[in-house]
Amino acid sequence: MMSKKRLNTIILVFVASVIAYLFLLPFIFMVFTSFKELEDSLTATSLFPKRWTMENYVELFRNTNSSPVVRWLGNTVLVTVTGTALRLSVSTTAAYALSRLDVPGKKFIVGGLVWGMAIPEIVTLFPLFYIFKQIGMINTYWPLILPSGSGVMVIYYIYTFLQDFPMELEEAAYLDGASIMKILRYIVLPSIRPVLVTQGFITFLGLYNNFLWSSLVVNQTKMQTVTLGLATLTLGENDNRPGLMMAATVVAVLPVLLVFLFANKYIVRGFTRSGIK
Amino acid sequence: MKVKKSTAFAFVVPFLVFFMAFWVIPFVYGLYISLHKYSFAVGRQEFVGLKNYARILAGDSIHKEAFYLGMGNTIKFVICTVPILVLGSLALALIVNELPEKVKKYYRAVYFASYSVSVTAVASTFVWLMKGNGGYLNNLMKKLGLISEPIYWLEKEPFVWITLTVATIWWTVGYNMMLYISALNEIDEQMYEAARVDGGGYWKTLIYITLPNIKSTFYFILMTTVIASFNVYGQTRLITQGGPGESTKSVIMVINSTILTNNNLGIGTAMAILMGVVILICTLGQNWLTRERDNL
Repeated sequence: MMSKKRLNTIILVFVASVIAYLFLLPFIFMVFTSFKELEDSLTATSLFPKRWTMENYVELFRNTNSSPVVRWLGNTVLVTVTGTALRLSVSTTAAYALSRLDVPGKKFIVGGLVWGMAIPEIVTLFPLFYIFKQIGMINTYWPLILPSGSGVMVIYYIYTFLQDFPMELEEAAYLDGASIMKILRYIVLPSIRPVLVTQGFITFLGLYNNFLWSSLVVNQTKMQTVTLGLATLTLGENDNRPGLMMAATVVAVLPVLLVFLFANKYIVRGFTRSGIK
Repeated sequence: MKVKKSTAFAFVVPFLVFFMAFWVIPFVYGLYISLHKYSFAVGRQEFVGLKNYARILAGDSIHKEAFYLGMGNTIKFVICTVPILVLGSLALALIVNELPEKVKKYYRAVYFASYSVSVTAVASTFVWLMKGNGGYLNNLMKKLGLISEPIYWLEKEPFVWITLTVATIWWTVGYNMMLYISALNEIDEQMYEAARVDGGGYWKTLIYITLPNIKSTFYFILMTTVIASFNVYGQTRLITQGGPGESTKSVIMVINSTILTNNNLGIGTAMAILMGVVILICTLGQNWLTRERDNL
């Protein structure tokens, strides 16, 4: 005899698995279609390719005029790495000072930050785009990277974390004659690491996946990130090439999925720690 | 810790420089632009006061027509997506939480993974899953004998709304689920023990203990989801390209074409500010709602 609890668990796992399959389906479709021949990809009723082919990938990487994929990936690495590093570093020092030090004009600054969080991004987006256009920085890396330094959320998360975090250790180190830089480096940084990893991942994701902003400030094919390049291909002349499109999608999605799988453990922890009250 | 004020300030300076350059200045400049007749190509022409706003909200200009069209479409999108994104994610979180400890993390990762891909990847995939001619779903449904003619999931109303909704849910529902899961884990275990002693079943425990304890998370998710859906751009731009006709052209698409196609930076910026005001009202309303309930 099966207990009622065990039966419930089996039903639950079954339901969860059906949902999981639906969630995986677009990924499965994406990967398998990218290995299909043209005819097969347009008429198939099976997810599995009839004959496996690499032709979609070969063509994607060969068309360096319409889809300079390697260049796109390089641009993406440059933009995401520098943009994330920039935001984390300016946010960490600012949040630390606002939480622990006697910063002149603190109330004024915090007030500004609250407005920065409350006012929707759409309000500043187009004027900022116009400014970049006026100073001739369209189709450069600058507009893709620099605005990342003005994000407020990371400061907010580090600040709230530090407010709940005991400061005895920092004070003891200070009395022993350690400089503020040393305290920041050896005491504060290790303790805020989980927040930095989660927020770093979210910043990375935002930069990697950004579409609206980058479509405004970049319109040359060779300056695009892989996310933007994929949009150009989707809107372009690939109306009857599902295999090629899915190959491009796989290439665009693979790096971010790998980072996701690697960071998953930390993200979950970060969610529980910086969870909203 | 006593350090010189100038040292303390120096720690904040790098951020403040970025905040001034990329937030404060564009914000003030945006307000300035919105009060002028301002061409995207030529630049500032003349001061018009609040006339840009008046032309968007009332009167009979093409701008008013475009703005209300975009607003209407965007609100439709919000109505289609928000309930499922807010309640479906709760259901997912409750399911994950009841799963056996050993497999829990795998299911959680699968439901959350699609959040990490870009809207452009979501779009290209759903275009080829759902396309009228040659899309996978239509091929499959035809083979199973469910339909004889293809359904135009990307090309005809009301099907486009189903496609946009499904794609958006696949993309973002996992994020809300993660927030719910973290809230569920923070509920005091002792409350559940007490309920068990009292002999409350699963559903009773859910209604009297679980749900009341995640109320503030629920409001937070509701607010952020409404705002996110209000900001829809990528899905409508790439999956339906605003069509059929202009039936799925969202506000941001309208602003975008006002500035880039019609060259009207003044009107476009004013539209963006108006949209910002609507979102801000949502935020404040939600805050007010949460506070009000907590006092009761």
